[in-house]
Amino acid sequence: MSNTPEPSNLPTSTSGPSEHDGSGEGSASVLLSLRGISKNFGAVQAIQNVNLDVVDGQVTALIGDNGAGKSVLIKTISGIWAPSSGHIYWKGEEIHVHTPRNATDLGIATVYQDLALCDNLDIVQNMYLGREETKFSMLDEIKMELATNQLLKDLSVSTVKSVRQLVASLSGGQRQAIAVARAVMRDSQLVILDEPTAALGVSQTAQVLQLIRTLSSRGITVLVISHNLNDVFTVADRIAVMHLGTLCSSGPASNYDTASAVELITTGHSSRVPPSLLTSS
Amino acid sequence: MSIIVDPVQESSFEKPDRSQLWYRRLLANQQFLLLLVTIAIFVFFAFNRHVFASAGEFGNNVTNFCTLVLLGVGETYVIATGGIDLSVGSTVSLSGVVGAIAMEHLAMHSELLVLSVGTVVCIGIGILVGVVNSALIHYARLVPFVATLVTWGAGAGMCLVLTGGAPIGQNSGAIALTVPKIWIFSYPALIIIAITFVAGLFLHLSRFGRFTFAVGSNAFAARAVGINVKRQVTSVYVLSGALAGITGMFVYMRLGSGAPTAGTGQELIAIAAVVIGGARLTGGSARLSGTVIAAWMITIVSSGLIFMNVSPNYNQVAVALLIATAATAQALRKSARQSS
Ligand SMILES: Nc1ncnc2c1ncn2[C@@H]1O[C@H](COP(=O)(O)OP(=O)(O)OP(=O)(O)O)[C@@H](O)[C@H]1O
Ligand SMILES: [Mg+2]
Repeated sequence: MSNTPEPSNLPTSTSGPSEHDGSGEGSASVLLSLRGISKNFGAVQAIQNVNLDVVDGQVTALIGDNGAGKSVLIKTISGIWAPSSGHIYWKGEEIHVHTPRNATDLGIATVYQDLALCDNLDIVQNMYLGREETKFSMLDEIKMELATNQLLKDLSVSTVKSVRQLVASLSGGQRQAIAVARAVMRDSQLVILDEPTAALGVSQTAQVLQLIRTLSSRGITVLVISHNLNDVFTVADRIAVMHLGTLCSSGPASNYDTASAVELITTGHSSRVPPSLLTSS
Repeated sequence: MSIIVDPVQESSFEKPDRSQLWYRRLLANQQFLLLLVTIAIFVFFAFNRHVFASAGEFGNNVTNFCTLVLLGVGETYVIATGGIDLSVGSTVSLSGVVGAIAMEHLAMHSELLVLSVGTVVCIGIGILVGVVNSALIHYARLVPFVATLVTWGAGAGMCLVLTGGAPIGQNSGAIALTVPKIWIFSYPALIIIAITFVAGLFLHLSRFGRFTFAVGSNAFAARAVGINVKRQVTSVYVLSGALAGITGMFVYMRLGSGAPTAGTGQELIAIAAVVIGGARLTGGSARLSGTVIAAWMITIVSSGLIFMNVSPNYNQVAVALLIATAATAQALRKSARQSS
């Protein structure tokens, strides 16, 4: 992989978040805003100078080729890794997420590509991990079990037999649903999903997409990574494209079609989208 | 916006499958099977040597059990995180020796003061070993096996250096304390049993325990939900060390002196108890009740063999057989589950 040089003509705003893509979103407010985010692992520049606005209440799809830096970007937002440089703004205020706890406390919940569930724990234990309900400083298992049942029912996750099943015994789609439900349970304002449908069959994919719509209809902002452009155009209100570690384009989904998206993913450039949506040379 | 609905509200969701045939669930429960086997072993010995079932012999077994169980408890926590603590045997010796030296210096004071200081010193040494273990794991980046192997060797060596190989002190007052006072229990034994009970509740009913399992199951997932993995790992090694320190004090009281080899080999018996008790060595899954039953089983097998006039040299062979049986049973049950 040949590293593209640091783009110098990028409109880096130093004065906090702004609607830099000029897509005329009007009243929509920006929930999360990234400015000049870079992350390197030793000599490897995983992401460089990323500027992205995640609009409140909308579903933003983050797309890009394998190794484009999508997972690294969301792990930076989630506090798994500190950015090497750059600024993150949450509702207009600069934040510093040093640990995953910082992010979850703000209301950012992330469902990682590798799901991050504990196989040896059951569904309830996973749902409440790190947020256990206690009574007289002992775990309140009954309360947690009832609430888990209710939440899964609310989200129409009906395929699990018992919430006391070990997560190890669940199918890929069920695990995905549990991971998403956990993000929802924590009263999150932003749910980040890293390739939620990657390992799923047709009907399970449909279920997860439905789940994303359910989140959106509850007013939760969603940032979803996907390789499946059909899925992307089905659920996304906005699209952001990464190419070789940079964010090359972002804007309302209506401005993109499959051909332009493919072109952006593979080359980082497209003449089919309005130039104002391109952030890289 | 909150979508967490009132949890007490009746849910039409399928009830957890609790009604499944109770005896099948009981038989699938490793702790229950272990208990059955332990009772069978006891009955076998008692049938052959009636004195085995006497209160006096029970009392001896309780005392022996108390030199092992807390090590098993600490090891259960450590193994639940996916680690291992090889240093506990050395820690028993070292804390007993250092405690004995401290108590020698205080010999003219009241017995209560002497023993209290001894206990504090023993626990302090145990905590110190636990801190060193976690420092080796976190800062020297050693895997737990190697880190605790280092402290195991260092501890055993220090014991010999400090004592020159001979036991320190002669405290008959301490020995007297380990004589059963309440039925078959001495006061220190009651304390140890109480600690075991609390540790069991703590492991299975507290957030600390839940975090312990989460770290052993998937450390990344634990970190991602905001659990401080390093702190959790440090805590369990410190806990294991402290429990080894308490055991060191108990063994000191039993012997009336700090012997440099008092805990030699105990780490392996403790790990055996955890494995026989049904824990997974890869972490994430363990039952403290299993460890406790297994510790009792190992205790009565050891003393039962003596009653049967079997050379004590066979003791380790017997423990090895128990481990092999338990591990095989676990593996068979696992493959049965997977193929069903
Ligand atoms: N922990 C790490 N250490 C070193 N390099 C890393 C690390 N994580 C990711 N990278 C590198 O960063 C780049 C971006 O990886 P990332 O996982 O973000 O890709 P991605 O866009 O999520 O791809 P995919 O679609 O395959 O998941 C890759 O070149 C990868 O090798
Ligand atoms: Mg990825």
